[in-house]
Amino acid sequence: MVVKIIQIILYPLMALMIGIFFLGLARKIMARIQWRYGPPLIQPIIDMIKLFNQNSVSHGFMFNFGIIFSLVGSVIVVLFLPFGGICPLSSSGGLLVILYIMLFAPLGVALSGGEGANPNISIGISRKLILALGYEVPFLLAILAVMTHYETISIVEVVKIQQNAGWAIFSLPLFLSGIAYLMILPAILGLRPFDMASAPQEISSGPMAEYSGKFLALMSIEHAFGLFIGIALFVNLFLGGASNALIFFFKMLAVFTALICVNAVYPRFRIEQALKYLWKWPTLLAFTGLVIVSVIGR
Amino acid sequence: MDRNQLVKWLKAPAKMGHKYSLHVVYFCTGCGIIEIPPTITSRWDAERFGVIPVATPRQANIFLITGYVSVKTLKAVIKTYEQIPEPKFAVGFGSCPINGGMYWDSYNTIKHLDKYIPIDGWIAGCMPRPEAIFIAVTHLWTLIDKDMAEGYKKYRRNYKDYRANQEKALGKLEWPPLFSINKDKDD
Repeated sequence: MVVKIIQIILYPLMALMIGIFFLGLARKIMARIQWRYGPPLIQPIIDMIKLFNQNSVSHGFMFNFGIIFSLVGSVIVVLFLPFGGICPLSSSGGLLVILYIMLFAPLGVALSGGEGANPNISIGISRKLILALGYEVPFLLAILAVMTHYETISIVEVVKIQQNAGWAIFSLPLFLSGIAYLMILPAILGLRPFDMASAPQEISSGPMAEYSGKFLALMSIEHAFGLFIGIALFVNLFLGGASNALIFFFKMLAVFTALICVNAVYPRFRIEQALKYLWKWPTLLAFTGLVIVSVIGR
Repeated sequence: MDRNQLVKWLKAPAKMGHKYSLHVVYFCTGCGIIEIPPTITSRWDAERFGVIPVATPRQANIFLITGYVSVKTLKAVIKTYEQIPEPKFAVGFGSCPINGGMYWDSYNTIKHLDKYIPIDGWIAGCMPRPEAIFIAVTHLWTLIDKDMAEGYKKYRRNYKDYRANQEKALGKLEWPPLFSINKDKDD
């Protein structure tokens, strides 16, 4: 019991640390790919210290509440995700709960940004929600394939089965679903070529346009949690999870580095191009995967 | 570079944060903006000093005015400066904001920008090289260390005079005063 309470307190903090480390690493890797020296690895922490010490402008009750709402949603999702052996809330809930609560984060950002009453925010939020509409279809199909194949909705069970039977992405029935999830992962994390929701050059960083000071710092924390959740879910479902935390971290690191390399070289899609792409190839692959799982895999 | 000195961080985290995380909003008023792309990309890489461009004044804490300021642009410059959350630093880039530069006898440009908003530092030259921006950044670090980069406090203190100057150049301003004007001289 005591161990569980300590885990519930410390695990989101660790997730936050990993997310912030990823933010710093992303900037460093991008810099090295572009033949620059790049900022120090702790630059996001320096930015956050600065932002918490800067004045900020609030735009009303919903503006404050939306950020807290999305942060709480992210922390709850983190508690349901197994990280190696650590999973404080493993006995209650499963993939379905994660799917429901994962919607909190974008909804909170939308609520909060809507109060900002800046046209750039409205454009950014509409792009973000349209993008969510695009990737939710292949995402749900891929997760449905996993649940059908392993005949469980518990994510801990999925990890346990994969420990014995091998990684899902290399097993025959789930191969296509894994590829589909990998193709939509940049859209879930908001990395290029799917960063049209927060495009600084077109719409002044979209939903973030009115955030200043501590609000912006909370948004970066939320972004760090988002990175952690997206990658940890992929590692748990398709890369076999891990028996200890260190191996799990290195798997996440490998996935994230690959995604950042894609992020560094590709330009941005327009929103209708992104929707066309997301509803064509990943959906097709995920649907074929689901058919294979439900017809041949039995 | 003392970014890695732990003692300084523990003593004054806010000051160190403001030093090493300068988020810049570049105001592209004139030809000076052509020096910015090489500064922030691979050739000179400003990001290693923690200097990155941001898209909106709300997220920024340093305001770089690159080039001459016409009367019409001055309105946007003042609005942008007032939107940046404190503490904020303003830097004039090139000789035009300093004293008009080659537009010294133009009827339509502002000659001395620091009459209208407080400027913490100048980068002289026409054009200054990108290296000059880095020298300016290190000078700004020194100023922040010695608590001398306090233009925003000056603006708050002397807002009445700044507002009067702004109204002299632009006529009646359509936005309300940022601070109350009647309050005199006290912070």
